[in-house]
Amino acid sequence: MSILIDESTRVLVQGITGSQGRFDTRYCLAYGTNIVAGVTPGRGGQDVEGVPVYNTVEAGVAASGATASVIYVPAAGIKDAVLEAVDAGIEVIVALTENVPRHDAAIAVAATRAAGTWLIGFNTNGMISPGKSKLGGIGGDRADELYVPGRVGVCSRSGGMSAELSAALAAGGYGVSTCVSMGGDPIIGNDMSEYARQLEADPDTDAMLFYGEPGSDLEQGLARAMRDGEINKPVVALIAGVFQESHPKGLSFGHVAAMIRTEDDSASAKQKLLAEAGAHIAHRLGEIPELLNQALS
Amino acid sequence: MRLTEEKVKAWLRENSFPVPEGSAAANPSEASVIAERLGGVAVKAIVPTGRRGKAGAVHLVDTPEEAAEAANTLIGQTINGYPVKEVYVEAKFPIDAEYYLSFAFGARAPKVVISRHGGVEIEQTFGRDPDAVVTADADPLTDLRPWDAVSLWERAGVEGPVLARLGRLTSQLYKAFRDADAIMIECNPIAVDGNGHLGLVGAMMEIDDNALFRHRDWAGEGSGFGAEGRILNERELAVIRANETLPGGALRYTELDGNIGVLMGGGGASLLQHDMVVDFGGKLANHTDFSPAPSIDKPLAVLNAILENPNTKGLLLSFNYLQLLPCNVLVNALCEALRQHEIDARTFPVVVRVFGPGEDEARAMVEAFPGVRYLPPKASLDDAVKLIVDLTNEAVSREGAA
Repeated sequence: MSILIDESTRVLVQGITGSQGRFDTRYCLAYGTNIVAGVTPGRGGQDVEGVPVYNTVEAGVAASGATASVIYVPAAGIKDAVLEAVDAGIEVIVALTENVPRHDAAIAVAATRAAGTWLIGFNTNGMISPGKSKLGGIGGDRADELYVPGRVGVCSRSGGMSAELSAALAAGGYGVSTCVSMGGDPIIGNDMSEYARQLEADPDTDAMLFYGEPGSDLEQGLARAMRDGEINKPVVALIAGVFQESHPKGLSFGHVAAMIRTEDDSASAKQKLLAEAGAHIAHRLGEIPELLNQALS
Repeated sequence: MRLTEEKVKAWLRENSFPVPEGSAAANPSEASVIAERLGGVAVKAIVPTGRRGKAGAVHLVDTPEEAAEAANTLIGQTINGYPVKEVYVEAKFPIDAEYYLSFAFGARAPKVVISRHGGVEIEQTFGRDPDAVVTADADPLTDLRPWDAVSLWERAGVEGPVLARLGRLTSQLYKAFRDADAIMIECNPIAVDGNGHLGLVGAMMEIDDNALFRHRDWAGEGSGFGAEGRILNERELAVIRANETLPGGALRYTELDGNIGVLMGGGGASLLQHDMVVDFGGKLANHTDFSPAPSIDKPLAVLNAILENPNTKGLLLSFNYLQLLPCNVLVNALCEALRQHEIDARTFPVVVRVFGPGEDEARAMVEAFPGVRYLPPKASLDDAVKLIVDLTNEAVSREGAA
């Protein structure tokens, strides 16, 4: 078991004929992901790495029975690509595009949520259930080295940090059940608390590790779910960006989503809120294994 | 991108919204000519910030001479951190009643905030009379329909003929807000004159930088100021120029008051490493935000800025695993910068933590630069930060002793 996808999930790739789409598809297939169809309008009938290409998602789904889609489409077209996937009945979408125009993101997310479709992203490098399947560029050609199988679920606001977190787990003798780069754009599909509920229900996950940043109300939602008793497995959280609180507001640092808007969505406020809800707060990567030792003992 | 008042008003006018007549003046005589035509006017400093009234940046005058005098006073002043180069001269609107309206993004959808009290800051109204303020999420799938808007204004306590007018205006403005890819519009006040006509007297607007590709007409229309009106130095301006002219993703460089120069990749890694620098007792000389680029030019532009900053006493090049650029491209830029600036890494510490494609070649390149510490595989972000903080502190105390 793992969350959202497993080795049997049938996966479609939108924008499979572009350079990033081809590149990632090759490594995903090598990793064992069951990629069954690709979509690029005007390239129907071709194939990429042996995967047949269709002109529309509808045709790709009809031919392959795909239920998940990974989308490689530039910002200008990402809204339509998500709406097309929703329309074709896709259940899990990974949207890698970053810096999506805010109104487009709002429309796409409203559509996925109305349809009950799970949307990972925007601005994600994908997700991986080590040893089973991966979607997107996560792990590149070194996924085996960076993501060791194990029983800790990881959910990261930053794509790059998902590798660092998993490496920190491996260094401390832990491994990953599923690692999701949930999206770093200001508007994303699903919340931390929703990932936490998935991991809570996953029999192969013993504990959860979250990485967060200033801005957004994601951690507030997670803390609420913990306080309400929906999350009972141990939670370790690393929230970066405390330094921003000693700089004037409005300086642009890191992800756009990391802009401090109010006192409450600062990194230290999030740490405090999560600690009060029972989470173990790590300040450095190296502290994570020790916190897990304590939490799981 | 924040737009200044004259640009917001011009945009509103183009979209058939009711706006008082007015235009920008760069000197007192221009202001006087405009006032001659309009009669009683408000002369306002053009700066991309709110709270101008409070800052003394709005003068209400009756004659062209007074308008010239107001322009003379305001131009050259600094308002909320922004230097005033121009004023906006606008016909006074005969205000009978004032309302407040804004759209701004919440977590998932635009939030609508309205109030039956305009002309004062919305936080103040909310503090004094919370029932007069109504907040709601717009549904991105249906927009804000006129009847949705009417019901919001009704909840805010508005009644009579103005209700329909406000409802229609609010719905139309929401469409314009979405079509312009704005992420914020604040109309304060929306005024009503004695005949029941509406006028958008105060208006601020911010455009989504990520949507400029479909609004070419906005390009270059930004206020041209850094956040909070901070004056950028030559190195920061050089990086902005490099960002605009060289191929590749967005590049940002902001100087801080410490001595450790950093080029970090991955937004998360940048945040976390910055925190750890502080934890380990160091201070950063700069912050960077780096996206993929096809050649060494963009990373080299940032490295040049870092090494030209006289406060920089050490350099950390540290990226997430497999991030953004092949290691050899990044390290090639580093080597080029070290050569150009004749850096001796035995006295000026340089720490490198970049892993992934091109790593073997990158490791071979730094062999030519004795003293550069290229961390071994599996070294963590913690390791990289600890090392640069310790080495820089040592270098600084050695320099102090010499």
